[in-house]
Amino acid sequence: MAGYILKRLLSAVPVLIGISVIVFLIMAMIPGDPATAILGSFATPENVAALNEDLGLDKPLVQRYFIWLGNMLQGDFGRSFALNRPVLDEVTERFNATLVLAGSAFVLCTVFGIAAGVISAANQYGLADKAITFFVLLGISIPSFFLGMMMILVFAVNLRWFPVSGMWPIFGDRTIWVLLDHLAMPATALAVVATGVVARLSRSAMLEVLRQDFIRTARAKGVHERRVIWGHALRAAMVAIIPVLGLQAGFVLSGAVYIEMVFQWPGVGRMLVDAILRRDLLLVQGGVVFVAACYVMFNIMVDVAQSLLDPRIKT
Amino acid sequence: MTEALKLTGLSKAFPVGKRLFGPPRALVRAVQPVDLVVQKGETLGIVGESGCGKSTLARMLVGLLEPSSGRIEIEGEPLDNADPAVFGKKIQYVFQDPISSLNPRKTIRQIMEAPLKHLHRMGPAARADRIAEIFAAVNLREEFLDRYPHEFSGGQAQRIGIARALAADARILILDEPVSALDVSVQAQVLNLLADLKAQFGLTYLFISHDLAVVEAVSDRIAVLYFGAVVEVGPAVEIFANPRHPYTKLLADSAPVVGRALKAPEGRETELPDPENPPEGCAFRARCPRATALCAAEVPPLTGEGGRHPAACHHPLEA
Amino acid sequence: MSAFLRLLSRNRLALGGLIVLVIVVILALLTPVLPLKPPNVTDTPNRFLPPFSEGAILGTDHLGRDLLSRLMWGTRLSLAVGFAAAVIAATIGAAIGIIAGYYGGRTDNVIMRGVDMLMAFPYILLALAIVAALGPGLMNALIAVAAVNIPFFARNIRGVTVGIANKEFVDAAKLAGMSDAKIIVTEVLPNVIPVIVIAMSTTVGWMILETAGLSFLGLGSQPPRADLGSMLGEARSALITNPHTSIVPGLMILVIVMAINLLGDGVRDALDPRLKSGALSRPMPATMVSRTGPIPQPEGCDLLAVRDLKTQFHVKDRVYKAVGGVDLSLKPGECVGLIGESGSGKSVTALSIMGLVASPPGVITGGAVHYRGEDLVGASYEVLRSLRGRHVAYIFQDPQATLHPLYTVGDQLIEAVSSHRRIGRDEGRAHAIDLLKQVRIPNAESRIDSYPHELSGGMRQRVGIAMALANDPEIIIADEPTTALDVTVQAQILTLLDDLRRDRGLAILFITHDFGVVAQLCDRVAVMYAGRIVEKGPTDAILNAPAHPYTSKLMACVPELGEGRRRLEAIPGLPPGVDQLPQGCAFADRCHRVTEACRERAIPLEPHGAERSVRCIHPVEAPRTEAAQ
Repeated sequence: MAGYILKRLLSAVPVLIGISVIVFLIMAMIPGDPATAILGSFATPENVAALNEDLGLDKPLVQRYFIWLGNMLQGDFGRSFALNRPVLDEVTERFNATLVLAGSAFVLCTVFGIAAGVISAANQYGLADKAITFFVLLGISIPSFFLGMMMILVFAVNLRWFPVSGMWPIFGDRTIWVLLDHLAMPATALAVVATGVVARLSRSAMLEVLRQDFIRTARAKGVHERRVIWGHALRAAMVAIIPVLGLQAGFVLSGAVYIEMVFQWPGVGRMLVDAILRRDLLLVQGGVVFVAACYVMFNIMVDVAQSLLDPRIKT
Repeated sequence: MTEALKLTGLSKAFPVGKRLFGPPRALVRAVQPVDLVVQKGETLGIVGESGCGKSTLARMLVGLLEPSSGRIEIEGEPLDNADPAVFGKKIQYVFQDPISSLNPRKTIRQIMEAPLKHLHRMGPAARADRIAEIFAAVNLREEFLDRYPHEFSGGQAQRIGIARALAADARILILDEPVSALDVSVQAQVLNLLADLKAQFGLTYLFISHDLAVVEAVSDRIAVLYFGAVVEVGPAVEIFANPRHPYTKLLADSAPVVGRALKAPEGRETELPDPENPPEGCAFRARCPRATALCAAEVPPLTGEGGRHPAACHHPLEA
Repeated sequence: MSAFLRLLSRNRLALGGLIVLVIVVILALLTPVLPLKPPNVTDTPNRFLPPFSEGAILGTDHLGRDLLSRLMWGTRLSLAVGFAAAVIAATIGAAIGIIAGYYGGRTDNVIMRGVDMLMAFPYILLALAIVAALGPGLMNALIAVAAVNIPFFARNIRGVTVGIANKEFVDAAKLAGMSDAKIIVTEVLPNVIPVIVIAMSTTVGWMILETAGLSFLGLGSQPPRADLGSMLGEARSALITNPHTSIVPGLMILVIVMAINLLGDGVRDALDPRLKSGALSRPMPATMVSRTGPIPQPEGCDLLAVRDLKTQFHVKDRVYKAVGGVDLSLKPGECVGLIGESGSGKSVTALSIMGLVASPPGVITGGAVHYRGEDLVGASYEVLRSLRGRHVAYIFQDPQATLHPLYTVGDQLIEAVSSHRRIGRDEGRAHAIDLLKQVRIPNAESRIDSYPHELSGGMRQRVGIAMALANDPEIIIADEPTTALDVTVQAQILTLLDDLRRDRGLAILFITHDFGVVAQLCDRVAVMYAGRIVEKGPTDAILNAPAHPYTSKLMACVPELGEGRRRLEAIPGLPPGVDQLPQGCAFADRCHRVTEACRERAIPLEPHGAERSVRCIHPVEAPRTEAAQ
């Protein structure tokens, strides 16, 4: 098992290099003088000169890439000129907030999505199936930012159950309960779409598995139907569900961008959008590479979970 | 008689654990070097159990797989499938699964026309005539031509597969388990049809099957494959009645026969060797009642002795 | 195509989605000619007019612009951008996927590594990076959304293409002299297009959401022009004071995407062939029972008695009479063979006994199965479950598919016991090892922790047999247990079964298509044809002197080893479909002894000598009582 984890970690190296190349190339597409483009409205002559020296922007493309990569490996993601602080500091701070939001949404969508999918499949064409199918359809059709806005309107403004926005109150203690109070709406809004997708997939994976011969074998042995569904069938269906959960984590992270905007959540998504609008490109570059790298690591965890579940994967 | 097919040292090894660059982790030898000759007008049966490499062998013969070593000669010329339009006229293939060998989104007419169009460059009128001729030969009604494959039973679909192979007008047909997906009553129809066609068009068959009785019923000669190698080859009338290789005898004794008492021909519970770790010497020795130290040391060559047919065994059975 | 439209129109939800979508699209197309106010003209005195105000049916926004007009123009823009992104992504992605999947090898490897790299980004990061580089704007947002979705299409289409490229009809096309390019266009593409259409129809809605999202963030369409997303984005600051400016565009997005998703699901269902055949239905824990007519009462002292069993498959409006009235009995310690060709109903009979026929579409419509006098067909699920595996156990055909791939052999064996009685950990393990030894698996102590894929086919089938023996049942129903095995392994397994039954006094119902197997193993045999037993009696008697023409013909068809090269007997024609059985004898059309009387009425199964019976009015040989005894 340790060998397998090591192998997967090693295989992440080319992926991470690929990610850095892609981001670098995209940023290299920016027309005009790179330093001025990167600095945008902060382009004072001193800044331009500093950046040119920092990134070696007068050098050829390939050389520039390696300078940039080398800097990153030393933890130097450059400096945000808009915020006047190192990119990495800003990104890690913001990423923590995103992790709280996206992480809780991911847990919600996994638990509820799989449960809904299994119940739906076990009662195919029944009332529960129809109800779940309807809510799933609604969930995957509603824009998460619109859902978030409507939730603010109903639960924060009208019913006053939850605070309108933000992660922490401006004044007062930062306890877990305060956090949960602030987290409830954005996490739910973010989880809805992903829950729909997971439920849909779990349902079809379950239906696929329930037709398999080994389910008939289990029934022929006299295994209780509850165990046939939640044991035999779900376990086999998880082989198809887990990889999608990895993909879904990416969708949750993506959706977090909108939700952070709507709920004024101080996460990395909002930071990126603000940075793009301010053309603070080094912050964009650093943020994208950092989050993508974290996502790659998460997917390695997913692969390891898959190999624990499925003995047919060679470890 | 002339040689329709000649295989010399033909082998195939599949890489396991491929990498993007560099050599793979291991090689699995699906077919050990094989020498075989099929005479013109003959039916050579190839029999063996699953995993013995019989389908791999067949796919190499029609150029669908690249051999790892050795050469294939078709009617005296080396196999050359660089131009599919020329190659297809020499040798054709009838597939095991009659339904999946027909494109579900094409009508039978479109399927039948493909070889006529691409191999023989026939015009529409000539094609229609030829299809009518072939359909008559395989006892299919022409009204089937405008239907789709899913509308046919296994037996009918296999006739269509045979008709398509005939349309190429090749003299050699490789039949890869052509009846194993069919029920016995339909199987007999198809086997008899194959026999008729062979007589009518002077074809040469390489007939692959796991069913000893079927192979015996259709073949002139039979080659027995075990673990990728030919262990015995001889006349159909003789090979199961008087086997020389202990594996051939085991096969013959295992086949359930009406009127023979049930008795496991093997005393032990045995399995095939692991292809990733092939045994030294004879691959069959772990299952063989006659195995000696010699069998573990040397791979037995395929040789005939005393006027009998060839077998790859150090201690062949007496007549 | 027309079949596709018919299927689609039968799906009411999809039809509803289609109608809504058509209306929206028509309105969007007509927007320039409709009598609407100009969408971008500001009128600040009239800002934030509520809906149903005069001159502004949906109200106005923060700059006093008419919301209805902006909504229509915004819808037009959102639809156009969403569809364009979907078409671009699908075309490029499918092309990449088909090339990678068809050529395979290194081409595939290099392309798919690149795709994996792109998919290693949470998709919006890539989109944000592209927009950051190109600058905000609707066109750039479109490019970003399309680019981000290409890998999804490529991967999906590649998977399908690999499946098709490995199909035998592609090999056949190569041998028919076709070039690779020709094969891709005429053989592969027609089979991939439905998948592309499904992928597109299920992602168009998603693309519209994504472009709207980028606009919402202010990275898509730039003021004053607005699509639905940027309308929402602009309205956000006034969410609490003037919610209508947010609700109007938000609902529009919801309606459009929902309509597209409904339609997309309908398209998928109509194009997926598995749904047509009802193959994606979930089989229920026990076969549905809907018996009409009298229910046979138990009689005699048989261990298991099947009486006039009728099992049908109801698919759409067709009824397949898979089992059309079967009588069969099993005494303690007896082995009865049930023989027939595929589609004869032999397996369905076997599965009906314990209610294991997949349902839907299977329904038991008549008869009874008496186990020690108790009717299993009418029994509750809990009764059936407690008997399954405990008193009546099954062995199935394909040991590869019938064992759970993710549980160890030991766990599966222990579970067979623990489903019926409490069993401790150690006791269970010891019992499982004992079972493996009984079926002569070498190294039982270590094999117990193996997973099924680590065993050979023969060993897996031994595990299947061990599982059936776990609770010491009285009856084993073996459904073609050796068909998937090689002959040498088959001989081992048959010997094992024969030994076990003699040692333990098991009653076995043995389903097979092989006369040789029946002859070696079974005391009595029943021959099935088109859902009915046509002949039954002692094995020797039937095999030596078959009375039904079908039995005799079928036996003649089977080549036997040792008879050399020869012409085989064949039965002309095909068995009738069980959805269109004739009124009289089902074998009449293929029979050489047929007369008018055979077709007039159903032929009963009548005694033929002391222990035999046959369903034929012109049996092959006159009953010879001596031979039967």
